[in-house]
Amino acid sequence: MKKAKKVFQVTAAAALAMVMSVSLFGCSGDNNEPAVDEDGNTIVQVMVHVAQQSAEGMAYNRITDSFNASDTAKENKIRVRVKYSPRSNSATGYETELIAMMNQGTLPDIITFDAPNTWSYASSGILEDITDLISQETQNDFFEISKNTYEGKLYGLPIQESSAGIYYNKKIFREAGLLNRVENMTADNAWTIAEFESICAELKDDCELPIDLQLYMANDETATYLLYPFILAQGGSFLSEDGMTATGYLDSAATIAAFQKIRNWADSGYTSYDASDVGFYTGQYAMYLSSGWSIPEIRNQYTQQLGEDWGILPYPKGTRAASATGSWSFGMTTQCASREETAIVLEWLVSTDSSVSITDATGMIPARKSAIEQKNYTAGSPEYLLYDQLNKTGTVRPGTIAYPEFSSAFRGIVNGLRNDSNASSIVSTQTTTLQNNLDRYER
Amino acid sequence: MESAQKLHVVRKAKKITSRTITYIGATVIVVLFIFPLVWMLATSTKTEMQYANDLGSFATFLPNFSDLSTFFDNYASVLTEYDIWKYALNSFGYAAVVVVCNIIVNALAGYVMAKFTFPGKGFVSFLIMFLLVVPVETTIIPLYSIVHNLGISGTVLAVILPAIVSVFNIFLFQQFFTSIPKEYIEAAQLDGANQLKIFRIIMLPLSAPIVATVATFAFIGVWNDYIWPTMVLPSPQPGEWPLYPIQAALTTIQSIEGVTTGEVMASLVVTSIPIFLVYVFAQKYIVAGIGVGGLKL
Amino acid sequence: MVLISMIIIGVFVLLLGAFILKDVLVAKRAKVKTVHYTVRGTVGAYLMLLPALALLCIFVLLPIVYSLGYAFTDYYLLRPDEVQFIGFGNFADIFEDIAARGNVYNAIMNTLKFVVFVVPLQIGMALGLALLVNQTIRGMGVYKVLYFAPVVISLTVTSFLWVRILGGGETGLLNSFLAQLGISPVSFLYDPQGAMYWIIFVSAWQGCGYQMLIFLSGLKGIDKTLYEAAELDGAGKGKQFLAVTLPGLRSVLTFVIVTVFIGACKIMVQPMLMTGDQSFTITLNYLMYIEGYTYRWVGYSSAIALMMTVVIGAITCVQRYLLREDD
Repeated sequence: MKKAKKVFQVTAAAALAMVMSVSLFGCSGDNNEPAVDEDGNTIVQVMVHVAQQSAEGMAYNRITDSFNASDTAKENKIRVRVKYSPRSNSATGYETELIAMMNQGTLPDIITFDAPNTWSYASSGILEDITDLISQETQNDFFEISKNTYEGKLYGLPIQESSAGIYYNKKIFREAGLLNRVENMTADNAWTIAEFESICAELKDDCELPIDLQLYMANDETATYLLYPFILAQGGSFLSEDGMTATGYLDSAATIAAFQKIRNWADSGYTSYDASDVGFYTGQYAMYLSSGWSIPEIRNQYTQQLGEDWGILPYPKGTRAASATGSWSFGMTTQCASREETAIVLEWLVSTDSSVSITDATGMIPARKSAIEQKNYTAGSPEYLLYDQLNKTGTVRPGTIAYPEFSSAFRGIVNGLRNDSNASSIVSTQTTTLQNNLDRYER
Repeated sequence: MESAQKLHVVRKAKKITSRTITYIGATVIVVLFIFPLVWMLATSTKTEMQYANDLGSFATFLPNFSDLSTFFDNYASVLTEYDIWKYALNSFGYAAVVVVCNIIVNALAGYVMAKFTFPGKGFVSFLIMFLLVVPVETTIIPLYSIVHNLGISGTVLAVILPAIVSVFNIFLFQQFFTSIPKEYIEAAQLDGANQLKIFRIIMLPLSAPIVATVATFAFIGVWNDYIWPTMVLPSPQPGEWPLYPIQAALTTIQSIEGVTTGEVMASLVVTSIPIFLVYVFAQKYIVAGIGVGGLKL
Repeated sequence: MVLISMIIIGVFVLLLGAFILKDVLVAKRAKVKTVHYTVRGTVGAYLMLLPALALLCIFVLLPIVYSLGYAFTDYYLLRPDEVQFIGFGNFADIFEDIAARGNVYNAIMNTLKFVVFVVPLQIGMALGLALLVNQTIRGMGVYKVLYFAPVVISLTVTSFLWVRILGGGETGLLNSFLAQLGISPVSFLYDPQGAMYWIIFVSAWQGCGYQMLIFLSGLKGIDKTLYEAAELDGAGKGKQFLAVTLPGLRSVLTFVIVTVFIGACKIMVQPMLMTGDQSFTITLNYLMYIEGYTYRWVGYSSAIALMMTVVIGAITCVQRYLLREDD
């Protein structure tokens, strides 16, 4: 009896090890056969970066459910499955999962990706060229600026547009006697940087802080996304056309001067690195630079403090006009085994109805014209301003395969200005680092 | 006689003073150690408005007694909106299996390293030291490939198997077992017990404190992990029992737009409570029985 | 992948075999037989080691060998098919960066600063707390549980809490109290001089409970009669500590120093969650993460990892040598 027990224990331990080493020989992933379910439907896998229970995730749920129930799905024998892979800290974790899947040939057919990654994902063969797979009609309906292109080819279509603008508290403006100077502003007759500064100066005594530029968000992409139009509007530049040279662009005199302005605004008390992230919401700050994602937050949580007494102003213009655009998009992966079926699903995901449904849930604006028409924004509403601005002055972040390095340099400058008032030395250090990082790709 | 009594009184007074000082000192340190946690608990009962209003006053550390009707609102929204109990049950399941296997596998290895002489021991002990020192943060992508090639990707084995072995725990067990006198083993051997029996009957019970420590930390490790499980497990499908662990559900809550500070704090409290209970349960073993010569390196 | 994995495991098994053979031969040829191996004992030992060794090989060693192997290549995450062997190219880049006082230099200096301060602070706090709760005074059990509380709360949670506590602006907890005193908000975590010290403090605060437990188990093991003897010799509390407690804790102290040191060298989560990649808080492990995952240059990142391994390993060996017990 005792002996039997011992033998059992030893074999159990050995078996565990055996199982492991044997299965090492075993199957390896090969995903080039289209997956099919028991009813003979082709399965199209979609992976998204949001949580299933978030407003956006639930909208995806609705869209894919309605697809699975649709005639299109039945005629073409397709079923959609969604993998929700939410990440709390930035997109790095999501990308790690993508890359791990890519190495094993297990990428889903459709993925979501952030617009600045278009160049690197397209050039390294994660994303499939969908120029000929998506109908011209659909392609023409999207705003030109919103499409994800690389070397003239289409690689992704946005879910929605996260255009940004300057939120303002009408009550504070009214009390300061400034409301009439901004109230009827549109993208066409946007204010200038000089007007922006003079209004900030006048607001100083009427509120705790004239504007929160979210400078404290320079640890993630938010600050880059919100601030780059300020630099571009003042004649600044970031990278060469091919995205491989920073010297002479990021450290140009105009770029340095524009960054210096940000620090000067902080010094003059127009904005602050230590602003509270709810200062505008609670009615203490007059203005707030943010994307469209703040609209639902205000409407759902801060009606008590702000009511309907707020609006959105366009980015101020300098030598040119620029506003922030470029969002998460749907794209097809190169490991997709059933391209026609996947293209059908992709068209469904970005369709007019889907765009309306998703933007209804998230509060942002759609990226295609027909959906904008359906939403029928009234002139003067915050959404209308964002759409108008996107249409007329929307400018994307610089295209480069080294976008993470660029963003890091940009954030490094914004962060650096917190402790050092001399923009030119910070910019020059960051440019050197960035250029070194860019040169790695050339070897 | 009188002077002796006097001395006694003085001594007693001294003792009381020193105790009082000890208590005061210990309490001050406690405040330093747990005020962030008290703050977390207090905030978890407040609305965003109350939280903002209480900042800067002592009330920020007190729960929301002023409006008891909203006291548990944050918990309600965290606990009811999602099937969080299902995820919690998953985590308990993963943790239970991992904790048991972790102790058996690592304690066995530590026992061998401490009490056996065998050829190749130097090499194995070098390996353990090496693996202890290497930074492992960037090995997640090769690990994914390995798990996939093993054919266990997408199953719970992918979460459990890699979590079983721990170099740190092998090292800890090895150090501890070294301090247990040889005589115990020799006596048992004379009684005809085999090595596995000695391990089970003598070594494991004698090392209860370390077993309890390892169990607590193995539990915490599994409970807090979410990047790896969400990478290798399929995401929840409607109508099916989810496989994701609790942290995935909580990350979800925290990443949702417009979540309030109170809700975030409530979700943190919810995840921390089971760990804390496990510790309070385990801690009486942790320091109880190290009478056998202490730890020896 | 599968083939290479088999080769790596094969090499490992061969190496193990070679060392077994070497040990056996050395033992046989030795004039004075100090060790005596039996076939039965050896087989038994390896059978009991097998589960741990097999799992270690597959889930720990294999990924590490891969990752360290990339150090000699130009592996870019998005182009796994175009990996080229580039010899010591990555290491040359690292030394160039150090010479130019770039990010690697910053990371080394910050990591050094962290290790130098956190190891004594954390161990000192742990020892102090252990001595405090080890006293036979009523209620110390409760204090013990409370001191340990930060350990059971995860690093992510504590980092999150401390960001809210030390955060800039009036919404930071500490700043909200300073504001009551009329002091304007301080950006604790963005102060190039001070930020690292806050990270050091938070790390010690979070971690020391664990070492407190280890010390406590060591203190229980010290013979009570030694204290009585010392007291009879007229030794005061301080002298008792030096003459009895410290020597009694020697082996525990070694374990704690070695493990706290290794853990401190690998610091990453706290700066990542508390300050982001600032030049004044970036650490080696965090830089490794950024280079490998954010910038996707796994080759370069692995080269940093390899250098870290060699340096930490060497220091650990020296520590173990210095702290060895003379038997």
